[in-house]
Amino acid sequence: MENNRLVQANGVTVRAGDQALIYNVDFHIDTNEIVGIAGESGSGKSMLTKVILNILPKDCRQTDGEVVVLGQRMNGLTNQAKDKLITSGLGLVPQNTVVYLHPLIKIQSQMIDGYIHRKLGSKKEAIEKASGLLKEVGIDDPKRVLNSYPAQLSGGMRQRVNIAMALMSDPKLLIADEPTTALDCVVQQQVLDLFVQLNQTRHVAIIMISHNLDLLRAYCSRVYVMYAGRIVESGNADAVFNDPKHPYTKALLSLIPGLEVDKTKPLAELPGMVPEKDRDRTSCIFAPRCPKAADACGQTIQPVDDNDRYILCPFADSKPKEVA
Amino acid sequence: MTRFVLKRLVSAIVVMFFVSMITFIVLKAIPGNPAELVLGTEASPQQLALLEESMGLNEPLLVQYLNWIGGLFTGNWGQSYVFGEDVLTLIVQRLPVTFSITIFSMVISIAISLILGILSALHPHGIIDSISRTIVQIASSVPAFWSGMILLIVFASMLNLFPVSGYVSIDRGFLYFINSITLPSICMAIGECGILIRQFRSSMLSALNQDYMIASKVKGLPYWMRVVKYALRSALITPITVIGNQFAKLFGGTVIVENIFALPGIGRLLLTSVERRDIQLLQGIVIFICFMVVLVNFITEVVVMMVNPMIRLGLEGERE
Repeated sequence: MENNRLVQANGVTVRAGDQALIYNVDFHIDTNEIVGIAGESGSGKSMLTKVILNILPKDCRQTDGEVVVLGQRMNGLTNQAKDKLITSGLGLVPQNTVVYLHPLIKIQSQMIDGYIHRKLGSKKEAIEKASGLLKEVGIDDPKRVLNSYPAQLSGGMRQRVNIAMALMSDPKLLIADEPTTALDCVVQQQVLDLFVQLNQTRHVAIIMISHNLDLLRAYCSRVYVMYAGRIVESGNADAVFNDPKHPYTKALLSLIPGLEVDKTKPLAELPGMVPEKDRDRTSCIFAPRCPKAADACGQTIQPVDDNDRYILCPFADSKPKEVA
Repeated sequence: MTRFVLKRLVSAIVVMFFVSMITFIVLKAIPGNPAELVLGTEASPQQLALLEESMGLNEPLLVQYLNWIGGLFTGNWGQSYVFGEDVLTLIVQRLPVTFSITIFSMVISIAISLILGILSALHPHGIIDSISRTIVQIASSVPAFWSGMILLIVFASMLNLFPVSGYVSIDRGFLYFINSITLPSICMAIGECGILIRQFRSSMLSALNQDYMIASKVKGLPYWMRVVKYALRSALITPITVIGNQFAKLFGGTVIVENIFALPGIGRLLLTSVERRDIQLLQGIVIFICFMVVLVNFITEVVVMMVNPMIRLGLEGERE
């Protein structure tokens, strides 16, 4: 099983100054998996992928824990070695499709420059590969797209180009950071189906970050639920969504508005804000907003961790039944 | 693309039209007429009337304006009474001086600002950034007449590296020519650096913070290639407009420098024409400088369009 492990993060903490942004995060993904990361805005979902990809903002740094990418420990490697390792096996599909591609450079040049620089092939091979990949992601006229500037393409097209660009190095893992945020519903669906298709045909694993729980439920085999920089619950997607154990997960799931909403009543919401300070506390970080908070929440929390199920709550147990 | 150029051209012509009208009206509104200035206070009313008649000053204002505009197109810009020469000839004679110091100071300031601006953006709050920020502060607060004096005292008088004054034409040897325009050009470049360093730094900083920099890193491009191919390309566009504007401003702003360094350029000619109330000459110079400003701005816009595919292809920019 360890041979299949693409990325493993153990107890990773990222801080900006003294303030913890994510704290003690354990995460892993194996080949051919689609793993979801869910959570509110500001819960540290993107920060986790930034640690993995070594693209942390300048004022943030990883202070604890270790990240293992493709069997190699990242801690202690030089920046250059890290980048080399990451580019050899990981690809990023961004949230923002507008400026992820350089507005003043033609698509072709942007798609092939990394490939050529890393001496994976000649320019001719690179162009052939690029147009092949564009076809694969559903673009009918790769020639025209390769000769276009990003502004000449629609948002959906640009996201397809981004996916194709990420595939140029034949990655084993794609990290999709809210890949459908800027797209309309129809295109969202197409892009998501494309991910599934790539997962099946190329056996590329995918980390899918989203605040859209329905989307994660439909596409992921495992999910991590993050809150305030902590992983509060993780496990098999069906288990987590059908039988949520952590009060936060329960709250999130209960808040998804259905089609039969009573329009005379305001939508249900979770009162309060995601805390920014003291994310590295050992007591429960969700307690101030938790409907079931009790004295035990103020103590150090021992997470439940077995059967691939992880719950950071003193009242949870992993057995499939409701906790009082 | 052609439509864009045409549109700019039309607006340039409209600007020129209004500028010429305002110039004409303002100079007409000044008390005293050219005939009085030519003849002096001793002239008899008959002589005055005769001269006014021959200079066309009795015509209605509109006719005078149209005559002047017509003259501008046919090369008849009027006579300067101070120099007794054709206005256009006077301007053309002095053009190379002003032009050389403007261009040379532009080259100096762009070179310095580009290097300092980019380096300080690559390491914000680093040593180079601190140094360049100090330079910006000093450069933008020191007036040209003072820095000109200091340059003269240090480099011309004490170190004897450059001549104190005067202009050597390029036919008399390129090195002599450069030597004669170096100090005035540096003097003008100092002020420019204050603006341009900041401009290059901020546009480079904003480019470095864009998502495409992450894209280029994840693709595995090395640092220098990310900086040169991705960041620098966007970072150079905004300053082009500023450089164009600065060039236009410099061209009309050589008066002080030309006087400090005693250079026979358009700035000095302008000063003379104002001091001596040589209205024909003044009118000519003002309209000429305006023409240069409009021309440079037009060229700048076309250049910006050529380097920016979003405008070139008639696409709407999604940023900015």
